[in-house]
Amino acid sequence: MPEPVLEVRQLVRHFPVRRGLLRRTVATVKAVDGVSFTLAAGRTLGLVGESGSGKSTLARMLAGIERPTAGQVLVHGEDVARLSRAGRKRLRRDVQMVFQDPYTSLNPRMSVGEIVGEPFAIHRITPAGGRRAAVGELLELVGLEPGHASRYPHQFSGGQRQRIGIARALALRPGILVCDEPVSALDVSVQGQVVNLLQDLQEELGLSYLFVAHDLGVVRHIAHEVAVMYLGHVVEHGPSGDVYDDARHPYTRALLSAAPVPDPAVRFAPAGDAGRGDGAITLEGEPPSPTNPPAGCVFHTRCPLARALGSEAADGALAGETAVLTGERPGGGHHVPERCARTAPVLEPRAACHFARSVPAAVKVES
Amino acid sequence: MRVRKAGGTGPEGTGRAAAERDGRTASSRAPLLEVRDLAVEFRTAEGTVRAVDGLSYRVDAGRTLAVVGESGSGKSVSSLAVMGLLPDGARVSRGQVLLAGEDLLTLSRREHRDRCGDRVAMVFQDALAALNPVHTVGYQLTEALRARRGLSRRDAARRAVELLDLVRVPNARGRVKDHPHQFSGGMRQRVMIAIALAMDPDVLIADEPTTALDVTVQAQVLRLLAEIQAERRMGLVLITHDLGVVAGVADDVTVMYAGRVVERAPVRDTFRAPAHPYTRALLRSIPSAASGGPQGADARRPRLSVIPGRPPSPAALPAGCAFHPRCDLAGDLCRSERPPLTTALTTQPHDDASSYPRASACHFAAEVLASHDVPAAASGRPRPTGRRDARETEEPTDA
Repeated sequence: MPEPVLEVRQLVRHFPVRRGLLRRTVATVKAVDGVSFTLAAGRTLGLVGESGSGKSTLARMLAGIERPTAGQVLVHGEDVARLSRAGRKRLRRDVQMVFQDPYTSLNPRMSVGEIVGEPFAIHRITPAGGRRAAVGELLELVGLEPGHASRYPHQFSGGQRQRIGIARALALRPGILVCDEPVSALDVSVQGQVVNLLQDLQEELGLSYLFVAHDLGVVRHIAHEVAVMYLGHVVEHGPSGDVYDDARHPYTRALLSAAPVPDPAVRFAPAGDAGRGDGAITLEGEPPSPTNPPAGCVFHTRCPLARALGSEAADGALAGETAVLTGERPGGGHHVPERCARTAPVLEPRAACHFARSVPAAVKVES
Repeated sequence: MRVRKAGGTGPEGTGRAAAERDGRTASSRAPLLEVRDLAVEFRTAEGTVRAVDGLSYRVDAGRTLAVVGESGSGKSVSSLAVMGLLPDGARVSRGQVLLAGEDLLTLSRREHRDRCGDRVAMVFQDALAALNPVHTVGYQLTEALRARRGLSRRDAARRAVELLDLVRVPNARGRVKDHPHQFSGGMRQRVMIAIALAMDPDVLIADEPTTALDVTVQAQVLRLLAEIQAERRMGLVLITHDLGVVAGVADDVTVMYAGRVVERAPVRDTFRAPAHPYTRALLRSIPSAASGGPQGADARRPRLSVIPGRPPSPAALPAGCAFHPRCDLAGDLCRSERPPLTTALTTQPHDDASSYPRASACHFAAEVLASHDVPAAASGRPRPTGRRDARETEEPTDA
């Protein structure tokens, strides 16, 4: 295993919700609630989850845009929070970010040369051979022409703008790129070009990526490892082939079976039809609010496995388990095993689920 | 793990409506909605730009047609034209929109919208923008019913609850008094669908209805649409860029590129063997969640198959076939002569044979079809593509 370049320990980010004249804190949004992982040199960690899962907040903390409420971010073994201001700035050079929206993340009043060269100005660095030459090289590196430096962002298409954003991120020769949904805003036919570029750059420059995306196909393609987030927690983390082919967490299963597959044999059929095969799971409802996440396992209120085991436990058919009632509304609930509702499961070894061993072997969708 | 599926049945009354509609279509045998050779132009500072050029499709009762294309392909503009909702500066320059045999484009704008209001409904991508923030959803659900059918307030209130029940919004009775911002994204999209269903339309046009939603919520909404459509035998036109969604719900597909139809076929045929190089390339470029990805630790990983370059601006379409600069099959003929949409394609007959004959607008359609490359497995194929290709083909907009 290569050396970790980035390590995150029990990272937490809570946002206070303030109301009224005195701006009193009335609630807390637990956007990220105790996340740990390591990223190895030259590797890609894919971070998937739905909106509100905390994946973007996590990415922003790693890039230094957001301060953690608790926990540690270690870059090359150094704790970012313990460093002096100057030290943080130096470390920040090594972790750069690529943003989702190539239309709003580039200043329309700056030329491409100014945009890509701005990191040099901020960090007061004169690259060897001068800034202008360095910008030209960066543009070439991402598949644009050095002559494009004098143009403005509106003269470029979405895919080209994303290349400009990548060139800017690479200016200070970082070791780590945090990519927050870098291809989601692009047309399918252009997405692949940017994904391939990121892969080329990784191999040429030995970069490490934290790749945040909601598109499970893109993440499978690019990531060596995948972490699945739900309500501020990582619920499953493992080598991407393992996670995709044999998910151990019921939420990962549900996420994978909900993803549209370009195969007409796999249908979103009305209830009662065979539809997407025996492995298909449709989750009911939507994720609970991160201001008031469920106790115990955060997924237990929507978990099909907890529901199935809960009714077994309620009938006394599950040895050693007692059932409790749960549900969004008091009274109108269903049974789940008591453990799910009371104790938060640990991520061990791969899935944070008390009953990971009860998740049946994967049903592969044949294509 | 038990498989859970959204259950339940629709409210009473839909069975009757479906039966009536069956009678209607059986007697006329015309498609519910047919678009013939539609062209839409925009007047811009640089002159007239043709956004849609010769779009034809038909929708039958109980079937789903997907209109697929990337941004700028004209897929959304064409549905606005069908509904009579084109913005200022845009006009239909050619073609017919036949609703149960009547050409809506010969009517006045007001009559056009009246006809649509009764029988064709539309669902938009952004429910937050499409809903009125100052009215309750109950009010918006029944606005049309009160204005057009003269429902009393009490009947309207009851109907609003029925409609929310129909789209499975929990606690419908309590929620009709809520405003749009009090709903989550998925629930808002359900409210939009409920509003569209209020007038019991024959045809529902859904423009990227799930694009803004998370995958698990998207699956719920697509399943709901499939259910409602099957119950009511509606015709559904689904406008989308997502071929996964197309494969998941559509019966037939029309693929648009640069304002024109490049391929149309029953969905199974297109995915089994696309007949246009653009469709084929699009299918190949989808990264699969079912297979592929980095294999060994240090081995050079496969690259995604890509379409070089980018879609042309409608203001500056290439001569000949609009796809030729990005096409791996392009020859001299493609650069000079625009290929017509040809229906003379032989396909293997199968049980799903619809009234949707295959067609492709490619000089080499027969070759594409014969090459029979199974695209589903092609996602991880190593190809010499990447940034060098992009530099050769992508030019700045104003170059």
